[in-house]
Amino acid sequence: MKALVLGLDCAAPALLFDRYADDLPVLSALRRRGAWGAMQSCDPPITVPAWTVMASSQDPGRLGIYGFRHRKPSTYTEGYTVSSTSITVPRIWDYLGQRGKNVIVVGVPPSYPPRPVRGCLVSCFMTPDGRPWTYPASLGEELRGLVGRYKADVLFRKDDRDRVLAETVDMTEQHFAILKQLLKTKPWDLAWFVEIGLDRIHHAFWKFFDPTHPGYVPGNKYERVGLEYYRLLDSRIGEILSLLNDQTAVLVISDHGAKAMRGAFCVNQWLAREGHLAFHEEPSTPIPLEQAPIDWSRTRAWGWGGYYARIFLNVRGREPSGVIASEDYERERDRLAASLAAVCDPSGRVMDTRVFKPERLYPVRRGDPPDLLVYFDDLSWRSAGTVGHPDMYLSENDTGPDDAVHDYDGIFILHDPRRASGGHGRLDILDVAPTVLTLMDEPVPPAMQGRPSEVVG
Amino acid sequence: MNQPDGQGYITVSLPRPLVERIEARIRGTGFASPAAYVEYVLGEVLSDDPNPGDGFSPEDEEALKEKLRALGYLG
Repeated sequence: MKALVLGLDCAAPALLFDRYADDLPVLSALRRRGAWGAMQSCDPPITVPAWTVMASSQDPGRLGIYGFRHRKPSTYTEGYTVSSTSITVPRIWDYLGQRGKNVIVVGVPPSYPPRPVRGCLVSCFMTPDGRPWTYPASLGEELRGLVGRYKADVLFRKDDRDRVLAETVDMTEQHFAILKQLLKTKPWDLAWFVEIGLDRIHHAFWKFFDPTHPGYVPGNKYERVGLEYYRLLDSRIGEILSLLNDQTAVLVISDHGAKAMRGAFCVNQWLAREGHLAFHEEPSTPIPLEQAPIDWSRTRAWGWGGYYARIFLNVRGREPSGVIASEDYERERDRLAASLAAVCDPSGRVMDTRVFKPERLYPVRRGDPPDLLVYFDDLSWRSAGTVGHPDMYLSENDTGPDDAVHDYDGIFILHDPRRASGGHGRLDILDVAPTVLTLMDEPVPPAMQGRPSEVVG
Repeated sequence: MNQPDGQGYITVSLPRPLVERIEARIRGTGFASPAAYVEYVLGEVLSDDPNPGDGFSPEDEEALKEKLRALGYLG
């Protein structure tokens, strides 16, 4: 049995299974013929760790990957961006290649720089413009003749949403054209494709199509953008499915979901107000933390922003100007965790904030885990790391347009041609790779943490 | 440790006594071969490397940082 995985980055159950379901004939029909439900993402539910967890069946702690960027050792704010070279464990296509199976990998983050597989690979949205984007390199020339210059991603422009929309649609059409071409012309046993465009549509347009978003205005010009983009995906997926024989299992899946963003919480300004972070001179205009005049010798904790907050303690012997003695570490961390859990929103309501110690989430912690992971108001409030704002609460993202935040539950639809239907169920992200291997009648390597899901029976 | 069938793999030589010890260790564990076990162990070791090398050039890294910032992933 062959397997085709169609990844829709950020696809949300509430839209795909409910609000838009009647307008998505292909996906809804696939759902009736297969198993479907929520795909439970990892902690944190962030693109780069999530797709890697899914394809390797190793949790973020084992991977040592906690987000897009990681701190350089012995620094406060210097970091590096996770790339394909950061992944040291085999992903499902590596296992299959070793067993003589051919694979097609398109757009699965992180896959830049392109690394060898047994088959072909097109790198992901993190590919810098003009850099090598395929394995083998000759594939890039072959595809360029067909689809032109590779559109790895779109750029966000707060002031030109029309252009963001047009570029996202163009990019998505190109990615499906690439997949179609590879499926038709290359030998394959597993094909794994990820389209990033849906994530971009959610982040740029959510408030225009979600009536529950605080910024929603009925009748706005982008009201149908969400529906029309989901319909585009549905239609292109239909074309892809028409290329398959009855010996191919299909899994449509997302890495996390999405929901309305309530605002951004300035975590470092809060830490400063609470006496955990000190400036030589308080910034009067918004600047990134790395540009702020921080007095590290009087700072006990600082945070990195994003869809969740990473909190680091300034520990003596670990950080360059560490102030917290190792014997005080747990007490400090507990106290800070309790304060973070009690943060209020602008109305004075205590947010539903979740604070995690990494050892509670991950049995093994490699690389540089933060001292605390924080989901403000159950992820509805984004964390802003910038400082110098007049207020701790920002009504929109401090660094650009952002209408949506991430949610834990993504989606899955699994069709196995050997089974008439599967019904409704939940799929854990760690179980995805073992499930796909089982569908392909391949053994599950012992290093994988998950197991074949019961949804495949 | 000969794995010529996957194009993403190269051959590494190990001393025979080491391979024999690995064979004894993986018996009944589900690891299909000494190669699979060595790959697993080295992957574990390298995941702990705090400085995984040069995925991006400094200029590409800066451009990517700005892009990720605009998308809300950094802040």
